Amino acid sequence: MDLEEIKQILQLMDENELAEFELERDGVRIALRKAGAAAPVLAAAVPQSPAPAAPTPAPAAQAAGEKLEEKIAYIKSPMVGTFYVAPSPDSPPFVAVGEQVGKDDVVCILEAMKVMNEIKAELEGLIVEVLAENGEPVEYGQPLFRVEIA
Amino acid sequence: MFERILIANRGEIAVRIIRACKELGIQSIAVYSKADERAMHVQLADEAICIGNNTSAESYLHVPSLIKAAEIFDVEAIHPGYGFLAEDAHFAEICESCRVKFIGPQPEVIRRMGDKAEAIRAAKSAGVPVIPGSDGVVKDKTEALKVVEQIKYPVIIKAAAGGGGRGMRVAHTDVALTSALATAQSEAEAAFGNPDVYIEKYLENPRHVEVQILADTHGTTVHLGERDCSVQRRHQKLVEEAPSPAVTSSMRRAVTKMALKLAQEVGYVNAGTIEFLLDQDGSFYFIEMNTRIQVEHTVTEMIYGVDLVKEQIRVAAGEKLSLDQRSLQPRGHAIECRINAEDPANGFKPTPGTIEFCALPGGPNVRVDAHIYSGYVIPSHYDSLLAKLLVWGHDRTDAIQTMRRALDEFYVTGVATTVPFHKHVMHHPKFIGGAFGNHFAEEVVRDQGWS
Repeated sequence: MDLEEIKQILQLMDENELAEFELERDGVRIALRKAGAAAPVLAAAVPQSPAPAAPTPAPAAQAAGEKLEEKIAYIKSPMVGTFYVAPSPDSPPFVAVGEQVGKDDVVCILEAMKVMNEIKAELEGLIVEVLAENGEPVEYGQPLFRVEIA
Repeated sequence: MFERILIANRGEIAVRIIRACKELGIQSIAVYSKADERAMHVQLADEAICIGNNTSAESYLHVPSLIKAAEIFDVEAIHPGYGFLAEDAHFAEICESCRVKFIGPQPEVIRRMGDKAEAIRAAKSAGVPVIPGSDGVVKDKTEALKVVEQIKYPVIIKAAAGGGGRGMRVAHTDVALTSALATAQSEAEAAFGNPDVYIEKYLENPRHVEVQILADTHGTTVHLGERDCSVQRRHQKLVEEAPSPAVTSSMRRAVTKMALKLAQEVGYVNAGTIEFLLDQDGSFYFIEMNTRIQVEHTVTEMIYGVDLVKEQIRVAAGEKLSLDQRSLQPRGHAIECRINAEDPANGFKPTPGTIEFCALPGGPNVRVDAHIYSGYVIPSHYDSLLAKLLVWGHDRTDAIQTMRRALDEFYVTGVATTVPFHKHVMHHPKFIGGAFGNHFAEEVVRDQGWS
């Protein structure tokens, strides 16, 4: 198990709001536990973690234990904008599920103030799922594609 | 009236605006940077959207992201708060062209009053006194002496190309003037690459007094009295109060009249503040106009019983002001202490970090405008204002008593705050006596032996 894998587990924990995670594999056991789970004394005064009203549906929560054999990464939105899968309404999408992408491959367009920004993958892997809906607004940091890292 | 407003800001003012929206039945849309995911304004708003990474430039100052967020939620208006883009004429113009109402004055007015020299010209046009000076660059001793003859000592020589205290020298006599001029010119050359200097009357220990105005689009402009913001350190206000202990009724009549004249001269709409320096001889001099809601709008609200943010929204929605000058009668005295995440014992160094625990004051005549809570992580990317602690009293003495009591209840662990500084102020004979100027805060710091 390497650092990259642990980082991905941590990311999965964040995205699925898990406080604890344990895995045993190949004679190695790893347990990750988030600190500060207990609420302070004035619990009533502490607001819950905000669930910002994202304009698109939240990414499908993946059970943490499931696909750990594949290394999963996410292409996240670098800006707030309207998500488009293709360069124009009549063109085919930039990428499809099952397609391999490289760092510099354009995966989608994010539009803001009439400027069409081409978004690059910034990583190498296999597109497993498109997480945002075509023509829908997305916020900064919102996962757009689930990618399986080679 | 608007149905949806986007708040292009964060922290306590975003919370303030959201509160006004809620009370007016308006949907509030918050924007936030990654660092502000757990911020109070995000939690209180009806909708929230993450618009960028941590730095202000990537988020709260990023116009395309703000406009896109406004479009996504189909808002009719944007409230810019204070700071960030509140006085950015270009942003106001973009809002206009995107058919989103910018809650504030018109872009041309923002631009005009944002230009310090232009604002002073506008003041002169309106017959409002400005600090007497050389009216341009002074080249040599002869020119300087001519100016001094008009305005009298003491004078201050200032660099035309910059500020921040560099290229500035005060002179009280002709002898001092010669060397001061030469020094200021060489310092200006070194700091800004431009030796040009001008001369102004130097006000020793002036007070900072500002007037709140409010104007609608139906021709009504009112003033809501003055505020005294003389307790400041390095031009950052720390304590504000209304009314000013140094302003008599006749002085008030004079300065509010000046403020209204200037507002009318530039055709001002919405809320604004006109800042003056008050000299020891009772003279007011215009220094600048702030074309936005201010941090300390709260003390005015407390003595007038008016909600200025709601009035801003109403004016922007095209409504007629329900206030008229006759009905605006202030009552009592209000004081505000700005509680910052700064260590007064250590040069007011910012102290971002986690608020392990906080308990905020309450009780009669106490108002707290804050965005903090136990467990809140103060980000390091933005300003250090945690809370505004306000009190109202029947008179100034009463207000000071209440503020002392409220400061004792202000409990924060995990980060240093300016509460100790404020406690010293509220017990200081000069503050209690009401006779203090712009240098008072520095005096408190020195008295305490703080660096």
